[in-house]
Amino acid sequence: MVDIKEVDNARKKRILIVEDAPYMREMLLEMLKIAKDKYEVVGFATNGKEAVKRYKELKPDLVTMDLVMEEMDGIEAIRKIKKEDPNALILVITAMDTPDTRNMAMEAGADEYLWKPFTIHNLLDVLEAMFRKRQ
Amino acid sequence: MRAITKRKLTEDALKESEEKYRSLVESTEDSIYLVDSNCTYLFINSKCASRLGLPIDQIIGRAYGEFHSLEEEQEFAEKVKEAFKTGKSLQYEHRSQRDGKYFLRTLSPVRVPGRRTIAVTVISKDITEFKRAEEELRVSVQQLRETKDYLDNIIRSSADAIVVVDMEGIVRDWNKGAGNYMDYTADEVIGTSNRKFFADPEEADRIMEIVLRDGELKNYRTTVLRKNRTPVYISMSAALLKDKNGVPIGTVRVSRDITKEVELEEKIKGERDNLNLIFESMADGVYIVSKDYEVEFMNKVLIDEFGDQVGGICYKVFHNREEPCPLCKTTEVMKGKTVRWEWHSPRKNRTYDLIERPLENIDGTVSKLTIFRDITERKRMEDELRETCKNLVELDNMKKNFLNTAYHELRSPLAPVVGYASLLSLSELTDKQRDHVHNIVKYARKLEEQINRMLELARVDSGEITMTLEDVSIPEIVNEMVKSFEPLLKEKEQAITTHVPEGIEVQGDKQKIITILTNLVSNAIKYTPKGGRVEITVEERGEDILVCVADTGIGIPGEHLPKIFERFYMVNTSLTRKPESLGLGLSIVKEYVKLHGGRVWATSAPGKGSKFCFTLPKKANK
Repeated sequence: MVDIKEVDNARKKRILIVEDAPYMREMLLEMLKIAKDKYEVVGFATNGKEAVKRYKELKPDLVTMDLVMEEMDGIEAIRKIKKEDPNALILVITAMDTPDTRNMAMEAGADEYLWKPFTIHNLLDVLEAMFRKRQ
Repeated sequence: MRAITKRKLTEDALKESEEKYRSLVESTEDSIYLVDSNCTYLFINSKCASRLGLPIDQIIGRAYGEFHSLEEEQEFAEKVKEAFKTGKSLQYEHRSQRDGKYFLRTLSPVRVPGRRTIAVTVISKDITEFKRAEEELRVSVQQLRETKDYLDNIIRSSADAIVVVDMEGIVRDWNKGAGNYMDYTADEVIGTSNRKFFADPEEADRIMEIVLRDGELKNYRTTVLRKNRTPVYISMSAALLKDKNGVPIGTVRVSRDITKEVELEEKIKGERDNLNLIFESMADGVYIVSKDYEVEFMNKVLIDEFGDQVGGICYKVFHNREEPCPLCKTTEVMKGKTVRWEWHSPRKNRTYDLIERPLENIDGTVSKLTIFRDITERKRMEDELRETCKNLVELDNMKKNFLNTAYHELRSPLAPVVGYASLLSLSELTDKQRDHVHNIVKYARKLEEQINRMLELARVDSGEITMTLEDVSIPEIVNEMVKSFEPLLKEKEQAITTHVPEGIEVQGDKQKIITILTNLVSNAIKYTPKGGRVEITVEERGEDILVCVADTGIGIPGEHLPKIFERFYMVNTSLTRKPESLGLGLSIVKEYVKLHGGRVWATSAPGKGSKFCFTLPKKANK
């Protein structure tokens, strides 16, 4: 069995936060700071178009992706990012929970789905599960 | 002298008489001869001599037998003997063996006054022609008789009525056929007037008039009456009977019962009339044209619009063209096809729905029947409807978008509330502060749940809910659910018991079945005081499974029972009691059970407990 702590120490996971609401960006940043030995927020994007651009620049280990945004929505952004890098790890964080949008996000290539509202524990649990699965 | 003179006078007189006699016998065509009792010729006229082929003087004194066969001789001798014996004339027919001719021989005895017969005169008349004519006549008569019998038989056995009526209208003959359908016997009608047979007695006169004028009558239709006065339709043909001088003496009439044909014709005519009536009363235009584009029929609608153009050429009278219209379907229809098409008349700016089909005529030719319906209004309405429909779809989409947006907008603000509160709980806090933070999260979650339920019901209403069908194991669901309620049960010091047979499965939406059960069980726990019991039973009921959740709680008053599945219905509406729920949980239960094709109901004894039951079909309908 892989020693997670050791792996985490080797390199922190670099995370790109895509979220149009400033208070949510801040909240996510604060939550990830709690686990700062594991995760590092490397950048933000406030819409889909920016997200694609920042992904290319930063090549993060994981993207948290809001769905409802201006300019380009999250679904389109996921599709573009996955096209650019099929190995991209994407966590959708949204208040939109219809079977349609969930299916669309999964088809576009999202790896996990976290509904708003959520607690810090919900977030950290899902991130840990995603990275564990990836290894 | 006187004596000599007298004798001389007598001789002269005799001579003269003999001369006269001789000239008489010589001038006749008959053979005349005189024989004695030995059949020896005493006298013979030249006619007879030429028949025997010798001069008179060479025959006189010779016997009859020398010139005839033995048979003829015997026959003749017998007759002569008879004449001698009786002294009376006799006649007999003789067939000459010489040439086969027939003769009527008259033998007359010659007697000297006061004495016996001395000779017999024979006058032999050639009756060959007469005999031939007679024979022919006999044969003719025989043939005529046979023909007559034959005709009589035909007449007697004919199904047609053959009736002979004289000039006074009296029935003179009546065959069995007439009796067949008129019910009279010949005896009843022969000798009576024919007027009584006709439904209109004047017909008798009219028929006679026509036959007298034309000499005949052909296929004349009229109505006659049976003996019981019921009508029979007949077709009559008649001929004039004349006597040998050409004077009319009556008519012979042959009539056929055509009741069935007439009834059929009437029926066909009735149907045709009905059809015409239908065509006439139709709001659609109906017309028929021949293969040569000649208008054969127009109904009232068309006549009102175009005038009566029957007999005209359709493209000329309807479309002012000199040749068939380019869109015309006549050629196709003539091939037996039924064509339906829509045509917009630029001239009238109206649209028509046309049905054109072949119509076979009695003579084998085909015409085209066209029914055209003005659908301008319908088209306009369809366009309007389409527009309305489009707007409705847009509206529906807007509604769905609204629902989704509402969902998103209501949940979004909860994210920082829950998120920041959870962050806060990680800080250094007093127990009381921790308690406060815990309450923030708890009630934010409650609010989230209410929002979810409201929007779920809105989706059910707008038909947006989709069912994901799979085989769902009921024991599995129940066990998992009981496990998830364990902390709450512990908190309320309640016991839960389950009676679920192994292996019960239904075809359904697993997530929705879980929601149904969870809502019922959480209600049961909520409304049951500490130390109470909750019981879940599952059993098979034919094609369904029956699930019941019973508790030992406060119960529901009877008058509220039928309404508890309504939205926002709360049993206790007084403000003094803090409502625990917005009352949407049971509405969702009801909608989800309905989506599965099942039923849900509740029974309760206030103060003792409630029991909620629902059924789910084992096999999904969809």
